[in-house]
This record gives sequence, structure tokens and C-alpha cells, in this order.
Amino acid sequence: MRITLVRLLTLLLVPYLVASTAPAEELGRYERSVERYAIPDVVLTNQNGDKVRLKSLLESGQPVAVDFIYATCTTICPILSAGYAHLQRKLGSESSKVHLVSITIDPENDTPPILKDYLAKYQARPGWDFLTGSRRDIDRVMTAFNAYFRDKMDHKPLTFIRMPKDGSWVRLYGLMNGIDFVEEYRQAGNL
Amino acid sequence: MSRLLIWTLLLLTLSAPATGAVLPSAEEIQRLGARMYREGILPDGQAMKAFVSNDVAVDGTAFTCVSCHLRSGLGSVEGEVVTPPTNGRILYQERKPYIKGKEFVPSVANYAKYLPVRPAYTDETLATLISAGVDPTGRSVLSVMPRYELEDRDMAILIAYLKTLSDRPSPGVGKQEIRFATVIVEGSDPVAVESMVTPLQFSVDRKNSLAKAAGVNERVARMGYNMLGDLHGYTFTLTRWILKGDPATWRAQLEEYDRKEPAFALLGGISPGTWEPVHRFCEERGIPDLFPVVDDPVLSDTDWYTHYLSRGVRQEGEAAARYLHGMVELIRDRAIVQVIRDGRRGRALADGFRTVWAETGHTPAVDIVLPAGEPLTAEALRQAVAGHKPAVLILWDDAGLINPLGELMADPSRPGMIVASATWLGSAATTVPEALRAPLFLTWPYRLPQDDKRYDIAARKVLAGKRPDKYDQVILRQSYITQDVLGRALMMMRGEFYRDFLLDTIGMMEDMYYPLYERVSFGPGQRYASKGCYIVQLGKGENPQFEKRSEWVIQ
Ligand code: HEC
Repeated sequence: MRITLVRLLTLLLVPYLVASTAPAEELGRYERSVERYAIPDVVLTNQNGDKVRLKSLLESGQPVAVDFIYATCTTICPILSAGYAHLQRKLGSESSKVHLVSITIDPENDTPPILKDYLAKYQARPGWDFLTGSRRDIDRVMTAFNAYFRDKMDHKPLTFIRMPKDGSWVRLYGLMNGIDFVEEYRQAGNL
Repeated sequence: MSRLLIWTLLLLTLSAPATGAVLPSAEEIQRLGARMYREGILPDGQAMKAFVSNDVAVDGTAFTCVSCHLRSGLGSVEGEVVTPPTNGRILYQERKPYIKGKEFVPSVANYAKYLPVRPAYTDETLATLISAGVDPTGRSVLSVMPRYELEDRDMAILIAYLKTLSDRPSPGVGKQEIRFATVIVEGSDPVAVESMVTPLQFSVDRKNSLAKAAGVNERVARMGYNMLGDLHGYTFTLTRWILKGDPATWRAQLEEYDRKEPAFALLGGISPGTWEPVHRFCEERGIPDLFPVVDDPVLSDTDWYTHYLSRGVRQEGEAAARYLHGMVELIRDRAIVQVIRDGRRGRALADGFRTVWAETGHTPAVDIVLPAGEPLTAEALRQAVAGHKPAVLILWDDAGLINPLGELMADPSRPGMIVASATWLGSAATTVPEALRAPLFLTWPYRLPQDDKRYDIAARKVLAGKRPDKYDQVILRQSYITQDVLGRALMMMRGEFYRDFLLDTIGMMEDMYYPLYERVSFGPGQRYASKGCYIVQLGKGENPQFEKRSEWVIQ
């Protein structure tokens, strides 16, 4: 009787088990490192429905930042996107010189009209592109940045800034203060 | 803005706690509070202003409380970032230390271990937290939590609103019981109804046998608790709400059921026609409705309470448009003719195509409507083609299209590509003659049948030994998904059985690989779980299989 019950229970409960998550990082502080990444040659779609070749977009010689977000994400994306909007405001007329790229990690939901609405909510100025694409291509891009998330719910706050002088990338991990992000960007981009 | 200025502002707000403000009526608090909480708009119509990450100014219209604390106010978990509850009931209670090993219910432990202790809030300390980010222990909370600039009265309204969030137990939830209902519209095919209800009933029965076993066996109770927390002792009920007659009268029938035996959520549900009145009822009453089996769901970017398995047959039309968009070089400026069988199904397919085709910047297709009931003839097709010389002929009709289309193939002016719906052709799709298979492209919104076989065992579990051939395999699998999503969500809810939190919790679920759909996915505010639809062609030989010509989600 006992054994059957335990077996029954295990059957009943196995689908309910959830994996435990890793301990929290302390927010506000962030980790910084300098890395080299090989950008895959994929074609993604921007908020206007235009096809863009990621490699040309990122390796244009302009300083460029990349982050991974999605339209319906909670706490992490609002903060990253507020950081982008803040940078555009801070740089004022210089803001056309910087290129901000957000890449969705939820391409199935995030169609161009959704990307466009998202940018409008943050009052994004020209120079901030939000890209979607096939799941396979997005996976390749995440992997190239050593930022592969198995699922969008495993999402982590990562921002990358490319240094035009030698093509290396500053990798920033954490939810940063606005001032720190602007500083990192200025340094990397020689602004 | 300089930090000094911010600190000065903070001190000003600190010295003016939000007490003594005269509050509006309860309805006004709901209306104005919800507007701040969900839309980031102040009572005077301006956007709420806040600072995040210390010095980044944000408008409430970019994001606001709901973006992080979710609609129920019970918080969110994403990756390593846990946003705590912000409803009055929990805020005005002390948060005790989390003792590892003492609280071993996974859903609770995963969330509670991140949250520091604090005493209960008061109205004053809560206002300080919201405006200055300082909690009652004096801790300056993470800069991720915005610091809001609010007038006293607005602050008082917001706090009064927080007190109403996830406050009173949701209808349908008893001390040890959760009641569900399923809506069945009279006139639905009885096999379809049983295929929809059986998996749900299986899941309810399984849960009840666990609760019963736990009631008599200490060991089972302990194991159940360790895995399910307080949920383990609950029993579930599932009642059928049968709707009869004219859809205009459903509203009154639903209200009567709801009055007599309120349900925490509606599960599944089935209608041979419209679902709109049920959708509206759920929306207005705030009742979750999980995955009704309908072809033509209500589409909305803002409605909250009904989750659909997909966008219905319209999704096939949308996929066809995306697929053709990817081959514009072939089409160039030649016409596309869309032949539409009049009726709900044909119109939904055509509308899905039309919308996406326009969205991607193309000239509209030429629409030709076939009256309901009038058979399609080769002559009608020839006429449709002759006038427009289309590059692509789209045929939204049933298997009656196969023969006339076969005849058209002999015609020199036949189009090079034909698109139809494989779900509408049904099992007749395999009878399409070989000559027609090369130009014919079909929309198929499920995993390919040969690949879905490996899910047969899972799907059959919910039949508890009954013979699978008595059921509609698609609906059976759809209902399998419904009961599994519900089970997982209830399990993640930490014993907080609130309707809004059920939907918030589903919104935090990972992508799932279930029978039927290649993949289903969720997200706060996402309401159509399967986003995909293949474009397929028929292979060679007697019993041809579908062969993929596109990705699951076509970009
Ligand atoms: C960008 C995400 C975000 C937004 C927007 C947001 N919060 Fe928060 N909130 C948080 C996080 C994260 C915490 C936890 C901070 C900590 O404890 O260090 C928090 C903490 C709180 C707390 C303290 C809870 C406790 O147990 O001590 C309250 C109350 C609160 N928020 C209310 C609100 C209200 C009201 C709004 C809207 C006016 C709002 N929040 C908007 C993320 C957010």
C-alpha cells in the first residue's frame, strides 16, 4: 500500500516540480569585461519591417551598443530601455552619432509593429533600432555574444558596447545606474 | 538632474507624508488608482514622473507599477530579478526572515529567499518607499524600483488602491476547494465536447485523489506539502455551464451561473460559432478563461482575461501572407487572387491574409467571394484567373476545391502557385492528385502529424484508459495543454489563489513543448499561446505526408 501510494504521488507530482534558480546578484553594481565577438552574418528585421544585415549594422565604425530585451518583459527590460532613452537624451544633438541596438529574445511574439510601439513608449529617437528575426538567427546572435538564454524567463541584464578603435566589445552585466552607462558609452566610443 | 537636487526633493517629500489627504469614493480610487498603477497616468491626466537607476528620468507611460509588480500586485520573477508584492495585505505585514530548509515548497522558497526582512508598512512609511525608495528599516531599496514624484492626494489614492489589490479571496476559492467551470455552447459536436472535457476532468480527478490520499495518510500529506505547498490539500470541482439559444441571451445565462456557482476560472470551453459574448463577460467580470476551443477568437491587444491557444484560423491566413512576402521576387507586381468561401471561416482566413499583406506593404489581393453553399466549379476558377493573370491563387474553401482545381491545371493560364488551408481540406488533403501537389502550398498550424506521434503517449494519459479513437485528436491535445498549463500555474502561485495572479503566473511561464503545437509561449499580456503555422506541401505517393516549406514562425 505504501509503495503504491508513493509511486502514485511521484507520478502525480513530477510535472509540478520546478527547478530552483541561482542566487540573486546585487543590483546597481555591475561586472565589466572586454571581449572579442564574431558577429554572425544574419539578416534581421527592424521595427519598420526592413531587413538589416546585422554585421554591417554593428561593424559600421560608429560606436554601437547592443542589448537583449523583449516587449513583454518585466523589471529587466524597462530598466535597460530607460538607460538607452536616457543616453539618447544626455547626448542631445550628439545622439545621432551613437547607435543603439536592441535585439528581441522573444521573436515569436515581437513582430515589427510591436517593436515599433515599444520604441514609441520610450520616446526613442532615430538611432535606436529594435530587431527581430527567426528564432535560429536570434539564437546564433545570443550565442555569439556569449549571452544565450535557454528561455526568455532566464533572461539576464547584459549590455555590450563596441569600441570602434579596435572592434572589441565592453561587456556589462547588471542593472546599471544611468550615469555609469553614459560614462561607459563615452569611454568606449571616444565621445 | 543632479543628485543634490534629487536628495533635496526626497527630503521635501519625506517631510510631507501622504496623510490627511481627503480620499475620493471607492469607485474613484479604483478608477484613478488603476490608471496610475497600470497606465502610469496621474489623476490630472499627466504622465507620472519618476527616477530609476538613481538618475534616469522616466515617464509613467514608458512603464509603471504593473510592468514589474504585475496586475495582481503579487510581483514577478524573471531570471535572477525578483520584484516583491506590492499589495496592501502583504505590505502591511511584517516580512519574517527566510529560513533555508524550513520553507521547502519550491514555489515559495525560490521567491522568498531573495527578499530581505522588514517590519510592516504604515501609510507613512509606504509613501516614503514610493517617493524616496527607503523602506521601514531605513534601507535604500534597489535603484530598479523607481522613485515617484507624487502629490499627497495622488499618493493617498495610489496607496488606497494598493490596499485593494489581491485583497479579498477570489470567487470560486474556498478554504479547501477551488471551483472551475467549462462553458459549452449547445449545438457543439458531442465528440468535440467530450474531447474537450475529458482531459480537464482527468486532471481534476487526479488532483482530488491526491487531496484524499493526503487526508488519510500523513506521509502522503507531507510529500504533497513539500511539493505543492498549501495547494496539496485543495480539492477541485468542474461544472458545465451550458449556453442555449441566441448568443444575445448568453449574457444573462452566464450571469445566472456565475451567481449560483461562481468559478475561479473557466477552463476550455467550446462553441461551434462565436465566443464573443463569453469573452466579453469574462473581461467585464475579471474571470480568467483558459483556452476555449474556438476557430475565431476575439482579437485584442488590451483585453486581459481570455487566453486563446492561437489566433485561430486567421493565423493560417497571416502565415500565408508572411510566406508570400518572403518570395516577393517571384510575385513582383503580378496580382494575387483570393477566392473566399463566404462564412466565418473563409472570412477569418481572408482577413488574416489581407491584414498582414497590407502590413508588409503590398497592394491588396483581388478578393472574389463565393456564396455559401454554392459548389466551386472549374469554370468559376478559370474566370477568376483569366481576368487577373495572378502569380498566386489563394483558395479559402473546403475539400470541394480539389476537383475544380485539378481541372484548372490543364489550363495554360493557370497560376504557378496555389495556396489553401490544410485544416479546412481535412483528411481529404491526402487525396490531392499528384499533378496538383507541385503548385499547391498549404497552411498547417500544428506540428507535422508524423512528428507529433511521439506525443501520443502523453496525450493518451489524460484518457485514463479510454479508447483514443472515440475522440477528436486535435481537441484532445488542446485540452491536454489547458490542464497542464493550469496545473503548473497553480503550483507556482504560492497559495495566493487570485484570478489576476493566475494570469500573471501564466505570463511568467517558460516556452512549452506540448502535443499538437510545435511550441507555445507566454508573457505578461500575451494572449495567443501558439504563434506558429507551417507552410507545407504534399509528398509523393499513395498516402502523402506533409513536408515543411517554412519555419514554424514565419518572419
Ligand atoms: C522597473 C520595475 C519597477 C517598477 C516600475 C515599480 N517597482 Fe516597485 N519595486 C521594484 C523592485 C525590484 C523592488 C524591490 C526593491 C528592493 O527591495 O530592494 C520594488 C519594491 C517596491 C515596494 C516595497 C516592497 C517591500 O516589500 O518592501 C513597493 C511598495 C513598491 N515597489 C511599489 C511600487 C509602486 C506603487 C510602483 C508604481 C507607482 C512601483 N513599485 C513601480 C520594481 C519596480
